[in-house]
Amino acid sequence: MLSARGLTKKFGGVVVAQDLDLDLELGRVVALIGPNGAGKTTLFNMLTGFVRPDGGTISFDGRRIENMPAHQRARVGIARTWQRPRLFESLTLLDNVMVSERDYLGESIGNLIFRHGEVERAEDDARDRALGFLDRVGLAARADSLSTRLSYGQQKLVGLARALMNDGRCILLDEPMAGVEGRTIETMKAVVRAEAEAGKAICIVEHNIGFIRDICDSAVFMFNGRIVASGSIDDLLADKRLGALYFGSHA
Amino acid sequence: MTEFFLTMAILAGLNVLLASGFNMILGYGGLVSVAQPVFYAIGAYTSALLSMKLGVPLPLAMLAGAALAAIASFGVSLPSLRVSGDYLVIASMGFQLGIVHVINNIELTGAASGLSGILSAVEGPGRSWIYAAIVWTICAVVILGIRWLVTGPYGRAITAMRNDEEAFASLGRDAMRIKVTLFAVGSGIAGLAGALYGHYFLFLTPDQFGIFSSATLLTMVVVGGAATVRGPVLGAILLTVLPEAIRFLQLPVSIMAPLQGVLFSALVILFIFLKPEGLFGGTAVGGLEAWQGRGTARSKAGGRV
Repeated sequence: MLSARGLTKKFGGVVVAQDLDLDLELGRVVALIGPNGAGKTTLFNMLTGFVRPDGGTISFDGRRIENMPAHQRARVGIARTWQRPRLFESLTLLDNVMVSERDYLGESIGNLIFRHGEVERAEDDARDRALGFLDRVGLAARADSLSTRLSYGQQKLVGLARALMNDGRCILLDEPMAGVEGRTIETMKAVVRAEAEAGKAICIVEHNIGFIRDICDSAVFMFNGRIVASGSIDDLLADKRLGALYFGSHA
Repeated sequence: MTEFFLTMAILAGLNVLLASGFNMILGYGGLVSVAQPVFYAIGAYTSALLSMKLGVPLPLAMLAGAALAAIASFGVSLPSLRVSGDYLVIASMGFQLGIVHVINNIELTGAASGLSGILSAVEGPGRSWIYAAIVWTICAVVILGIRWLVTGPYGRAITAMRNDEEAFASLGRDAMRIKVTLFAVGSGIAGLAGALYGHYFLFLTPDQFGIFSSATLLTMVVVGGAATVRGPVLGAILLTVLPEAIRFLQLPVSIMAPLQGVLFSALVILFIFLKPEGLFGGTAVGGLEAWQGRGTARSKAGGRV
C-alpha cells in the first residue's frame, strides 16, 4: 500500500533520516517507536509531504508520490494526525470535521456558483458523516462548541475524527495517546482498534507500550534517524539493546 | 456644499470597495500585499481607455477593468505564492512600482501628465446624486457577495486555512488555490473601484495610484477590523470622513499636511498593539497575526522529531 525506500534527510549537518525503508499494508498496524529525537515525526512529515526528503522514493497504491504536494497526498488517501491536536480554533467541532471532507466542493467559487445544488447536498452529507465521527469519539453533543473549550485529550479525539473524515485508506497517527487521560483513553483505543479492524493501513508513533501491545501487529524501532530494528512487538520489547537506546543509558 | 458632500460620499464608497477588496487579501487570505493601488489603476485606465478608444459601452468597460485587474493579479500571486507567502510582499511591491512606472511613461495612458477626456458615466444636473447612488448600490452588491462567500463552506475553509495551514493541507485542502483566488477577488474589486473612479472624476494621473495609498487602505482595514465583512466598510467610511473633518479645525497648512500621515500611521500602530481585532471585529486573525509573529509558532510541522 504505502512503501518508502531509502528516505534520507539532513537538516543542516544533522542527519534526521538515513536510508529509511517502511512498508504499510492494508489491515496491518505498525508501531513506530524510539526515543525522542529519533526522527519518527520527520518520517511522518516526509510521507505526508510536509518535509521534502533529500533522497529516496515513496509510492502509494503503485503510484510514486514523493514529489506530490501535501494536500494531494491527503487526497489520494493518506490521512494523518499531529502530535499536538492542531484543531482550527476559530471553528466549531462540527466545522473542524466537515472541512476534512475528501472532495470538498465548497473549496471552489466556481462550484459555489454553478453547482450550487450539488454543494448543498454535499454539505448535508458531510454534516451527517461529521456528526457520525464526532459520535464515535463521544463528542457529538458538543458539535457546536469551539475546540478551545475542550480538554487536551478531547481535542486529540477531534483530531482523530477529523483524520477519519478524510477517509484515507492509510492513516498515520502521531502519538495519539500523549496527553490523553481519563475516559478518553478507552475511547481513543476503541476507535483506533476499530479502524485497524476495518482494514486500514495504520502506522502509529507512540510511547505508551500498553497501547502498542494492545493494537499493533509489528514495530519498527528508530534511533538517531535510522531504523535499527523491526519485527514483532514482543521481540523488540525483549531486546535489551533497544531498551538501553530508548532510555539513553550506555549498554 | 452639497456637491462637496456627494463627492465625499462617492469617495467613501470607492474606499469601501478598495478596503473590502484589500481585506479579502490581508484579512481573509492572511496575505500581505502592497499592490492594491496598482489594481485600482489597472481598472481605472482599462475602463477609461476601452470606452474612449474603442467605444466599448461603459458598464462593459468597467467590468473589463475589474476582470483585467483580477487576471493581472495571477501574475503576482502564482509565481510568488508557489515559493512562500513572504515573497508576495516583494512581488507585489515590484508589480506596483513597475506598472506605475509604465503608466508614467507610455503615451497610451497619457504618461505623467495624466489621462483626460474620460467619458462621464452620468451627465446633467443630478450627476453627483445619481453617481453616488450607483457607487453605493455597487458597494452593497459587493459587500453582500463577500458576505455570501465568507460564510458557508468557502468561509469555513478560509478560516481553517488561516488557523493552521499545515493541518489544513493535511486534510487535502489546497491553500495555494484559495490564496490565489482571494488575491484575485480582492484585486478585481479594486479594479472595479478604479473604473468607477475614472468615469466620475474624468481625469487620471499615475500619482494617484502610488504605493503609499496601501498604507491608507491598511489603516482602514486594521481600524475597522480585518477578516470581518463590516470592519473595512466602517473603517473606510470613518477614515474618509476623519481627514476632512480635521480640515474644519482650520489648522495652518504646515501642520495639516503632515498631520494626516502621522495620524494614519499612529492609528495602525495603536490598533495592531492595543486592539488587533479592530473597532468592529471579533478576534484578531489573518495577515495581522503574521505581522505580530503569532502565526509563525504554530506553522512548523510536527514538533519533536
